[in-house]
This record gives sequence, structure tokens and C-alpha cells, in this order.
Amino acid sequence: MEFAFLLSVGVSNGCLYGLVGLGLVLVYNAQGIPNFAHGEFFMATAFAAYVANVLLGIPYALSVLIAIAFGGALGVVVEFLAIRPISTNRALGRASTEVAVVLSTVGLMITIKGLARIPWGDSVRKLPGAFSTDTITIGSLIISTQRLLIIVVAVALTVCLSIFFARTSLGKKMRATSQNTTGAKLIGINTGHIYSATWGLAAICGGIAGILAAPIIFLHPDMGTRMLLKGFAAACLGGFGSVSGVFVGGLLMGIVEIFFGRYLSTSMMDIFAPIIIIVVLLFRPQGLFGTRGAARV
Amino acid sequence: MLSILRNNVLTLFFIIVLAISFTTDAYSQYLINLMLVYVVVAQGLNLILGFAGMFAFAHGAFMAIGAYVSALLMNTLGVPYLIALPMAGLAAAFVGCVIGIPAIRVSGLYLAMVTIGVSEIVQWVLRHWKPVTGGTDGMLVASPTFFGVEFSDDFQSFYVIFVVCALMTVLAQFVIRSRLGRAFVAIREGEIAAQSSGINVARTKVFAFAISAFYAGIGGSLFSLTQHYINPENFNLYQTIMQFCMVIVGGSASLIGPFIGAVILTWLPELLRNAQAFQEIGFGLLLIVFVIFMPRGLAGLLISRNILPRERFSRAARLRKKPEASTSVVVERP
Repeated sequence: MEFAFLLSVGVSNGCLYGLVGLGLVLVYNAQGIPNFAHGEFFMATAFAAYVANVLLGIPYALSVLIAIAFGGALGVVVEFLAIRPISTNRALGRASTEVAVVLSTVGLMITIKGLARIPWGDSVRKLPGAFSTDTITIGSLIISTQRLLIIVVAVALTVCLSIFFARTSLGKKMRATSQNTTGAKLIGINTGHIYSATWGLAAICGGIAGILAAPIIFLHPDMGTRMLLKGFAAACLGGFGSVSGVFVGGLLMGIVEIFFGRYLSTSMMDIFAPIIIIVVLLFRPQGLFGTRGAARV
Repeated sequence: MLSILRNNVLTLFFIIVLAISFTTDAYSQYLINLMLVYVVVAQGLNLILGFAGMFAFAHGAFMAIGAYVSALLMNTLGVPYLIALPMAGLAAAFVGCVIGIPAIRVSGLYLAMVTIGVSEIVQWVLRHWKPVTGGTDGMLVASPTFFGVEFSDDFQSFYVIFVVCALMTVLAQFVIRSRLGRAFVAIREGEIAAQSSGINVARTKVFAFAISAFYAGIGGSLFSLTQHYINPENFNLYQTIMQFCMVIVGGSASLIGPFIGAVILTWLPELLRNAQAFQEIGFGLLLIVFVIFMPRGLAGLLISRNILPRERFSRAARLRKKPEASTSVVVERP
């Protein structure tokens, strides 16, 4: 029974890592950079839900919507203010532009974290879960409702995003832009809008993960940075390529991590994500499911 | 007269620092020491980030390795500091190599993630290897002894730090002006072009990692002298980001940039002491504003205003009188 319980925890954690990794992959595919500010979308959205729900007393469902809107807006604004001025700066070479953009996301990371620290300080807070009953019993397995919700939402979101990229006009434009930016511009795609949409969508993915995770892991200005590494690990396992790859990568990561922690050593759980990142990038940089692509010259 | 000063700014810097040290109180002396430590570390980071154009998020960890190695050698084995200091640098360089050799396989942005992973692992080891590192309690650092005299306070350790910082500056100039330094820049500007002009890219990258980590290791060892006490918190991600800030604000790919960055950014957190939130916001905004508006940093600004001389890293270009006629590699961003 313990096995089934651990599995449920591992799967739900893995779904969270997958959601965080998803946002990283979206930005990586659009602009070829790891977004170090992504964890802060996770944190900021969770705090927005906390403000709306607990401090302002807005009903849970509505406050979640407000928080998601806030997260998306944050992503768009941040891209516009701190990323676009660099990526459109012709004076920098391509290599220097990438370095500068990554440094800018690092700057965003600690700026947003610092801003969150002013009102919230170093104390931990708790966002209530979506349901009033904490656990339900399936057979002899007791599973937390919040963890069940995480799994359902993550699966639904992954499916929706896969359809979004395959079918919708905006999704196709995003794919076109990530494959060939100049070509996309030539056929009349406003790549600036696409980048805004990508960052907004990425921030929403991270934000939803934040709202879902907040009842389990507590609110704290540092919660995003810790999650960032796990998201990176999930994205590396998935190969930074497809939406479903990241999801599977996250799942794998969550499940292995929990059993690792249970049967080997709990303190090893903190170090599991960096180990995954290093091992995967060194021995299989294309991820578990990716194929090795040709390098751009 | 002015032009002599202008062409020897770094010498002037060291003379001024030495002169100030005779008139300071203990607290300013501590800050001056810290500033010189950060000059060393920022020079190392600048070599890899500015000149070689490679991401390395592990400099906090390299510093930690340097600090802990020299502290452990002195505390437990009683090794004199004159030996412990280079050992600290070499230990960090060794770890830098170990990371650098596999890091050749992954380029650019993946490297950022590998190195951030390494820095997390080093943090974890420092926290959990309690019998050796003292865990989160940290450890006290013994004062170095030279020829029977114990250098215990900040005024005395200043001389150690000052001499080492000057030596490391000379070494940095030597590296940057050498064939290796030009190879760094060639790799930054285009790996394939560098390879086709006969540069061994893999070996050069490992050298970049090793030299840069050596600087961080030496810096970490000196850092432990200024603090007298080290714990893992000193070397977390925040430390690495602060070093990024120093390189970018000062001016990356510039000899004088790390000096400007370290001087400014050592004083800034002291002004914002006990306000972690404002330190983070300050560093974050500085980083963003500088990469957007002044990607070549303050050194770039001063050079373009002709306040500082242009930095020429190849011997031919330095010896030539007319800088316009230079056709050799000029290590500056377009």
C-alpha cells in the first residue's frame, strides 16, 4: 500500500515538474534560451492567488482565474521590458545576444524574488486547497484531493497544449517562429506578438503549477527557485522538444525521486534534480525522446 | 603626465588602495579587502564569461571549494598559508577541469544548466558532509602565519590579499594577451571559425574553465581570510549572481571592467545591509539595465568617451602608434 501511496505522490509531483518544465520548453523553443525567471512566475502566481483568496476573500475559483491572468500578464510584461530590447538590439552579435538575454532572465529572477520578499518576508504562508475535503479513499488507497487535481489538470493542460500547437493558427505561428524566425517574418507573422504570446503562455503554465502546488509546499519567496531546477530536469529528460516529452520527463523525475528519497535517503531528494540535469545533458543531450539535430552554424 | 596616468590606471588603482590602507578604520579596511577579493573572482569570471563567452554558473561553488580547501588544510593539517593558497586555487581548477571536460559536449546554454547543477551539488555536499565541512554551522578559519607572525586582523591580511590580487592581475593580463586569450575570443565569436583557423576548441574550453576556476578558488581562499568564518550560505546562487553583476556592470571582455565592477558592487550591498530584498532587487535591476542599455559596461562607456585608453590585447596592436591601422585581432565587441 505504501507503494501505491508513494506512487501517487510521485506522479502528482511529476505532473508539477512537467508543468514547470513545459513553460521552460516553450520559451526555449521560441528563443533558444533557458529562462531562469520561470520559477518566479510559479511563485508570483501562487502569491497572487493567496492575495485574492485569503486576503481579499474572493471565491477560490475566481481568485484562481485572477491569479492566472496576473501570471500571464507578468510574463508578457517581463518579456516586453527585459527581453525584447536585447533580442532586437542589432549591435550585439548572435552569441552575445543569447548571453545577454540569459543574464537578463537571471536579473529578472532575483528582482522578482526580491520584490516578493518586501511584503512577504521570510515567513511561510499557506494557500487553501481547491476542495474542502482533504483526502478521498479509493479502495484501500488514501489520496489527497489536491494531488488528484494536480494530475487531472496537468494531463488536461498537456493535451490542450498539444492540440493548440497542432491545430490552432496561433499555435502554428508559434511553431513556425521557433523553426525559422526570418522565414516566419517573411510570410507576415508578427514575431514580436508571438514572443509575447509565448512568454504569456509559459508564465501561465508555471503559474498554474504554482497555484496547484501552493497548498502542498507552502508559499515562500524562494519556492520558485527550488522548483526551477526540477523543471529544468524535467525539460532535460524530455529533450526540450515536445510538449508530451516534457510531461513524461516530469513524471519520470517525480516518480524516481520519491522512491529514491524513500528507500535511499531523504536528503538526497534535494540533489536529485541537478544530478538528472548533469547526467542527461552529458550522456544524452537530446533527452530521452529527442533525436539529435544538426547544429546551427 | 595625464596620459601616463591614463595608460596605467591599474597601477594607479593599486597605489591608491595601498595609500588608503594606511589611513582607514577597521571596517573600511575590511571592505577594501573584500573588494580586492572580488577583483580576483571577477577577473576569473570575466575570463570565461566575457572573453570566452561561456556560461559558468558555478563560480560560487568554485569559491567555496577554494575557501574550504584552504581552511581545511590550515585547520586540520596545519599547512602554511603559502601552500594552502595555491592548493585552494588548484583544487578549484581541478574541479573546473572535471566539469569542463564533459562540458565540451554541451555548448552554450546547456552549459549554464550543467554548471548550475554543479553548484547545487557542491552546496549540498557542503551542507551534508558534516564531519568535514561542519554543515550549515560552517567553520572557523585559522589566521595565516608568515615567518612566525600571525596575520590575524584585517590590516595585516590586507597585505596578503593585496599582493595576491596584484599577482593575479598580472597573470590575467598575461593570459588575455597570450595566444590562449585570443583563442578564447575566437571561440566566443564563432566556434567553427575558430576551429577552422587551427584552434583546438575542446582544449581551449577546458583551459578557460580551469583558469577561471583557479581564480575563483584563490578568491575563495582570500574570502575566507576576510570573513574568518565560512558557511555554505556564503557561496550560494546569490553569490554567483553578484559576480555576474560585477562583470557586466564593470564591463565584460575588458581588463579594467572587473575592477570597476568589484569596486562599485562591494560597497552597494554594504549600503543595503540587512535588507536582502533590496539587495536582490538592486542586483537584478542593475543586471537587466546594463545588459539592455550598456552591454559593454562602465569600462565600455569610459573607453568610448576616451577617458580610458582602448584595450588592445595583441602585442602588435599595442606597439603600433596609430590604432586605426590595426588589422590584428582587437578584442572588442562590435
